[in-house]
Amino acid sequence: MRISSLLLTITCFFSNGVWANLQTDDPVTLIKDITGQIFADVGENLEKYSNDHEALKALVRNDLMPLLDVRYAARLVLGRAGRGIEAGKIDEFATLMSDMLINRYSAGLLYFSSEVKLQVMPQRGDLNPKITRVRTRVSLPSGSLAPVDYAFHKTADGWKAFDVIVEGISYVTTYRNQIMPDVQANGIDSVIERLSKGELELPE
Amino acid sequence: MRRGHSLIGIIFLSILLAGCAGTQSRNTDPENDPWEGFNRKVFAFNDGLDKVARPIAVGYDKIMPDPFQRGVGNFFRNLDNPVIYVSQVLQGKFGESITTIGRFLVNSTIGVLGFFDVATKWGMPFYNEDLGQTLATWGYKDSRYLMLPFFGPSTFRDGVGRLGDSYIHPVGRAIHGNDEWTLWIVRGIDLRARYLDQDAEFNEAYDPYVLMRDIWMQNREYQIYDGDPPILDYDMYLDDFDEEDDP
Repeated sequence: MRISSLLLTITCFFSNGVWANLQTDDPVTLIKDITGQIFADVGENLEKYSNDHEALKALVRNDLMPLLDVRYAARLVLGRAGRGIEAGKIDEFATLMSDMLINRYSAGLLYFSSEVKLQVMPQRGDLNPKITRVRTRVSLPSGSLAPVDYAFHKTADGWKAFDVIVEGISYVTTYRNQIMPDVQANGIDSVIERLSKGELELPE
Repeated sequence: MRRGHSLIGIIFLSILLAGCAGTQSRNTDPENDPWEGFNRKVFAFNDGLDKVARPIAVGYDKIMPDPFQRGVGNFFRNLDNPVIYVSQVLQGKFGESITTIGRFLVNSTIGVLGFFDVATKWGMPFYNEDLGQTLATWGYKDSRYLMLPFFGPSTFRDGVGRLGDSYIHPVGRAIHGNDEWTLWIVRGIDLRARYLDQDAEFNEAYDPYVLMRDIWMQNREYQIYDGDPPILDYDMYLDDFDEEDDP
């Protein structure tokens, strides 16, 4: 009991450390700090996280979620199929979508293992509060570079990412073209049910 | 010696067939994929071929150790260099084209026929170029989606580009010159083996045809713009969303 509360304190303290950087009004720094933090943590405790996927997911969720605008992403994905669906259902859908993203991200982290390196490309031009793309390169153990970009916009709570683009393939676009017709044909409840069973994943 | 017209045959036949394709009920993207009916048929045909190709790729993947597979991939990538070089020159990317010559020389010799990618370690990066991308940079930006039998996803423009590539590429020249398909088949198996991990999720997709089209078209755009395509118009996605729920 004492240990867990100590852990909690440390975690909060540690998180505050990370979140202090969130005050920086710059998505490039955000990505650099947060993904750098996650990569470093996983690299140091690779064995622990390889055996404890839930702990890894918790770590990713804790660090990554505050950076994401999942509700906005969900609205982009649902498009006109989201018309008339109550906000609660959309939030539920958004949460499931982010779960999927976190699972995928966590699995990727283990796969890349310790050799992974991250490069954040410098921002060109001014930051557009409506949409700014942050470009990163993840170096894989094979020596090749995987380009991973993030689409950010500025909200009342600061800069938030709402799309991940891997080798030019937008998560939002690709997912949208699968989900929208599915929701239109089978309804949001059916989609939510299948999502919560871990179905409807996208290939990497 | 010019017996090998089967390659041209396949591409032209599919273009011809596409023209004859009847109207189909499904039209998920009339703007970029007006030949969807035909394309879906070819997609199903290719899926049938995959019943044969996949088990071979699975076997190859099981038997061959990863470093060897990487070597085979490097070997074929090295053979892409002549096409890359010509495309770079045609696009006016002269500095990059010199690098490509350097890559080809280094990897073909020190890299043992391309099995080892020494050039990348020596600071000569790989550039993804081909004649289809060249046509795009010349201004032929938008082209309708075209599913090619055997070759998979493409556009009309990239089908034409592929045909041109085949006269430069050693693997294509072996087919045109001597009807020698061995390299082509080995490359196909190696390529197929790379996508095995994604099969399950592909098959579970709501619409695997659309998924393949989305992934291919977006990645192609990314290649055409050398990794820096225009930012998506996300507002378009929101336009038809009920704004009432907006906080």
